[in-house]
Amino acid sequence: MFRFLRWYGAGPLHLLTMIACLALAGYATAELLPGNYVAIPVWLAAAAIGHDLILVPLYTLADRSAIAVFKHRRSSPAAVPWINYLRIPAALSGMLLLIWFPLIFRLPTRFPATTTLSLDPYLWHWLAVTGALFLLSAIMFALRLRARRIRPAAPARSARGSAP
Amino acid sequence: MKLPKSSPPGPFRRSFWRSPIRGPWLTSVFGLMLLASIPVLFVTGLLSYAAYNPDLSPVNDQTPGKGLLGFYLFSWPTHPIWLYRLNQGVHVTLGLVLVPVLLFKLWSVLPKLFEWPPLRSPAHALERLSLFALVGGAIFEFATGILNIQTWYKFPGSFYPLHFYGAWVFIAGFVVHVTIKLPAMIRALRSRSFIAELRTNLAGTHTEPPEAGYLVAVTPAEPTISRRGVLAFAGAGSALIALLSIGQSLGGPLRRAALLAPHGQDVASPDDFQVNQTAASAGISESETGPAWRLTLGGYGQAPVVLRRADLLRMQQHTASLPIACVEGWSTDNQVWTGVRLRDLARLAGVTRPSSVLVQSLELGGAFSQVVLSAGQITDPDSLLALRVNGADLTPDHGYPARVIVPASPGVHNTKWVASLTFRS
Repeated sequence: MFRFLRWYGAGPLHLLTMIACLALAGYATAELLPGNYVAIPVWLAAAAIGHDLILVPLYTLADRSAIAVFKHRRSSPAAVPWINYLRIPAALSGMLLLIWFPLIFRLPTRFPATTTLSLDPYLWHWLAVTGALFLLSAIMFALRLRARRIRPAAPARSARGSAP
Repeated sequence: MKLPKSSPPGPFRRSFWRSPIRGPWLTSVFGLMLLASIPVLFVTGLLSYAAYNPDLSPVNDQTPGKGLLGFYLFSWPTHPIWLYRLNQGVHVTLGLVLVPVLLFKLWSVLPKLFEWPPLRSPAHALERLSLFALVGGAIFEFATGILNIQTWYKFPGSFYPLHFYGAWVFIAGFVVHVTIKLPAMIRALRSRSFIAELRTNLAGTHTEPPEAGYLVAVTPAEPTISRRGVLAFAGAGSALIALLSIGQSLGGPLRRAALLAPHGQDVASPDDFQVNQTAASAGISESETGPAWRLTLGGYGQAPVVLRRADLLRMQQHTASLPIACVEGWSTDNQVWTGVRLRDLARLAGVTRPSSVLVQSLELGGAFSQVVLSAGQITDPDSLLALRVNGADLTPDHGYPARVIVPASPGVHNTKWVASLTFRS
């Protein structure tokens, strides 16, 4: 028993929890798969790695590109961590797009006929919210710059570096 | 095959990961938020399935292969009348506002995907397999749910079984993860004061102390955002999503604030309310609902009773204020329904103690063109075959000539364009 646990790499409780939960997950997967033996595994696999291997590289690239592009500008007010005033509204807007892209791009074509509601407003709503987010961010940045000019703080960091 | 002892270059090297704020504390704060919310999401999801009374009849069951996973089912109550409205509003809105928390949590543990060696022991291999259920299950559930509420049915199959079995895959991974990580989470949360962290600006932000895990960067970059900044970032995301969607569940003037929600628009007429499916989209023609329409009341072993709409209007009318609440999370305020009590119709059909009723619509072939209601749902004094709503005849889209309305029942079980009611004792 002791030798087995040393080979296994954790305690017996760990093994029991694993077996119980993997059995449950396996049972549910076995019920799930007959719906479509090709598309459902593809969906599950995409769900498991899509975030880590597609979404994160994309937004990290966008974030670093923004930092690289703007940091060389002489006028860039490096005294304040400006990147957050760009990345936060952009990320929030992107998050709304990630959730609501079917409505925004008018993909559920039967929606108007079934609900009497229109698909037209969503793109404009999203653009308006995005505009408002950037406007709010710009105002906050301006206030921050002004406060910095009135009451200069210790030399602050630049926005160099990696994603947050 | 023997793997090299030293890790391959790129993300498998710890030096690749340079975020100075990644660490057990930050991961644990997001973990705690999910730990508090996911059980609510799971339980409201299970209740949502129970609300269809799937055990009452195969007609009601959208997930007939559920087997052991239906162990918890019970007869869905009719009170409080807002029960289903609240349940679905919480399930859908909470799911939406958790999207940023989930994304930040996944970001915070990203380096662990590239641990080297990838499998240290059988225990570690099983743990990583359970993470597949956890992360795959989570994203699968969020994706199917979010697409379904927008009625963009691009997932591979019927929403109900996908979301139901997916939930069990997810929760199995979740239980393993919580069991294994809870002590580490508590330790990490105690390692830093939350209040002190909220008072720490960018200049005071440093990496967490080195740890055995993979989260803390060994060669950290300069921070560009503080930990409190990241928490505010995620909080702002959740607040924004809630602000732009909760109105579709709360109704009233707030509905128009739900700028990004499927039912965040007012319907054309101010006296009207939201519909899930119009008469035209259900294939209901005027010739079927005109003077030729008849309601057939069936009773077990009794000759059917056939009624015209005028006959129904001559019966004792009852009024009930009840909402319409959809599985998709949107709902309406209470509407004033007038019609004949289902229990009166049961008596007319010759069934004094009904155990169930099969309600069939004029609609042909839809997933919810027929439904079986329970004894409790028939005998509730507010359960009606409604003929009028808000002081006027039902409109075609609301189910003219007659529709079922049962308190606390899912919207699709309030069958529209009713053709027959078959009671059983």
